[in-house]
Parts: sequence; C-alpha cells; structure tokens
Amino acid sequence: MPGIDECLMEAMTLPGARGASLVDWNSGLALGTAGESPVGDHETTAAETAELARAAAEFDSFTAAAEEPPAEDGGVPPVEDLIVTTRAGYHVIRFVRTSFDSSVFLHLWLDRDTGNLALARIRLGDLAEKLVLG
Amino acid sequence: MLVRLAAERATGALLRDHGTLYLVDGRVVHAESPASPGMDVLLTTAGRLPRENWDEAVDRAGAHRAVGRFLVDSGRLRDGELEICHLGAVFDAAFFALSPTSGPTRFRYGVGHWFGTVRPVSAEAVERETLRRRELLDAVWPYASVDSAPVVPRPAAPGQGVGARRRALLAAADGVRTPAELARVLGRPAFHTLLDVRRLAAAGLVETPLDAAPDATPPPPPPEWSPVPPVSDPDIALLRRLRDALEAHL
Repeated sequence: MPGIDECLMEAMTLPGARGASLVDWNSGLALGTAGESPVGDHETTAAETAELARAAAEFDSFTAAAEEPPAEDGGVPPVEDLIVTTRAGYHVIRFVRTSFDSSVFLHLWLDRDTGNLALARIRLGDLAEKLVLG
Repeated sequence: MLVRLAAERATGALLRDHGTLYLVDGRVVHAESPASPGMDVLLTTAGRLPRENWDEAVDRAGAHRAVGRFLVDSGRLRDGELEICHLGAVFDAAFFALSPTSGPTRFRYGVGHWFGTVRPVSAEAVERETLRRRELLDAVWPYASVDSAPVVPRPAAPGQGVGARRRALLAAADGVRTPAELARVLGRPAFHTLLDVRRLAAAGLVETPLDAAPDATPPPPPPEWSPVPPVSDPDIALLRRLRDALEAHL
C-alpha cells in the first residue's frame, strides 16, 4: 500500500520523468514533491498548476456531462486528466478520486524527447488509483 | 517562535488562542483548531468512514498515540488517503492557529497528540504555507468581512458559471451559517471554504445579509464630549530642566 512518497517515486521511474508532485488544486498546496520543478521551486509550480487544474475542474463546459452518472459527489473529479505540451516537455495532471471531500491531483513533468506521453498518461492513472485504493 | 522551536528540535505543543500545533523533533506532526473541521469530520461527513469506526480507532489506539496508524492497519483507510486527509487537516488548522490575531503563544514541552505521527512537515514549510494562504485570500478578495459573517447567494449573471463544488457551497449558504460552519456541514477544510467564499464574493455571487440592508440600524451618535485621560499636574521643574537642556544643545 503506497503512500504519497512511494507514489511519486514510482512516477519518477517513468521514461523522461523530470518532476512529480501531489497538489491540492483548491489551495495550491504541494502535499509532496519529487525530482525538479520547471521554475526551480516546487511550491511555485504547485500554485500555478493548481490554478490551471481548478479552471478545468470548475468550468461547467468540462464538468456538465460528467455530473450525470453518480451525482455530485465532492470526491469524484469530473475531469480525469489534463495534458499541457510545451516545446521542451509534457505536463500530465491527473485528478485523484477520493471517497472523502478533497481536491488533489498528481502532476508529472516529462522531457519531450525522452518522455512517452501515452505510457505516462496510463501509468499516472493507475498510480492515482493505487494511492487511495491501495 | 516556531522557527526557534524547530531549530532546537523541540517536542511538545504550541498553544495559541485559535489552535494548537504539535511538534516532534522540531517538525509539525499534528495541528488542530476550533475553527477547522478535524479528521473525524472530514472522513465521516462524506461517508468515507462510519462514525463507529472512528470511535473504535480512538478507543483502541488513542492511548498509544497511534490512531492514524490503526486506521490503516485495520484496513479502514489506505496510506495515501490517510496522508492526503491528514496533511489537509494539519495545514488547515495551522492556518488558523498561526493567524496574527491568535493571541499569545505558549509551548508545553513533551506534550503529544493522541492521533500520532503520519507524515511530519517542516515548521518552515508550515509557516511559509500559512503566509502564502493569507496572501492568496487577500489577492482573491481583500475584504475579510465574508470570512466570519453568514453569507447568502446572489443570482448569477446570464452565462456566469459556478462549478459543482461551489454550487454545493451556495446551496448550504442559508444566511445563518458562517463559513466555518459551512465547512463542517460539507466536510471540507475551513480554509478551502473561506477561499471559495471569497472567490464567490469577488464574482458577485454571495453577499453578507448586512450588505442587503445597510440602514437597518443607524450608527450610534458621537459622544458629546471627548473623554480626556486624567493628567496629574505637570512637573514644572522637570519641564524647565528639559527646556534648558534642549536650548543648550541648539
């Protein structure tokens, strides 16, 4: 049963991984970090990615269709993930589903040349599930 | 004071008016505040943990200060869930405990908390985050009046989105509950609720009932005389000596 640190360590073993963190998107708090940050400071990166994630998690255009099946449960994120592609890298933001009210996501920063986006996206989804389901 | 305690790797409880921080070897292991919902509220409100399971964990492991550990070992919670929920609760309580209005600080060496250690955080990180949170609140909406007053929803403008989480908050905002009470009802951290209320205020989606009826009570009339503090007779000799000394310097 992995905790936050084990989960981030595992994310860092993915090809091309440069940095990983677990962030609360409502407050911008970094609950855990590993590797490097694109701006040299994990707390700044956490606050910035949190703003991006919050926009996706709160705008009705992204969330309206997803609200129908299980009802509006605070712990069920309607958005699964976000991918931002830059010239030098990929950022994969994976929302974590918890059964209590929370607002956290896993953020993985990958090198564009050595990273494998498809693999990282699938593995990050598994890790997000393992983090809370064991 | 927190930084000094961290430097001397102190173990004990830092007590303030709005909450308590628990340190082990200078690192923050737990925090609680009357202003923020505890782990029990966060876990039981959403139905993650039945109240009986929580009570059982406190009964059986509280004396060994290992309630968090017990919840995981007995299969009630996963490690990741425990860490996410506990860190959220610790930073939430620390925000209120360390607020500038929280009064004098006392430290009691050796005192621990029954919940036990989950994932210690450096005292500097807690202090930095608390400061960042205060600045974040003011950057969103720089009026603290919505932090403590009951709020009521205002109609959204055409096309203005609210989002599911904040819709739930608005539905619970009945003009009687304060943000701290809303946090408890929804099972969410109190800081998150304050932040959402300020975001809603900035978007014009909530107001305090006082805003709606500003002239309900006229301001009290100013007192007719301004009170002057009683002054004993000035010491003439002392004033002369002062004047002479000043003149000698000019």
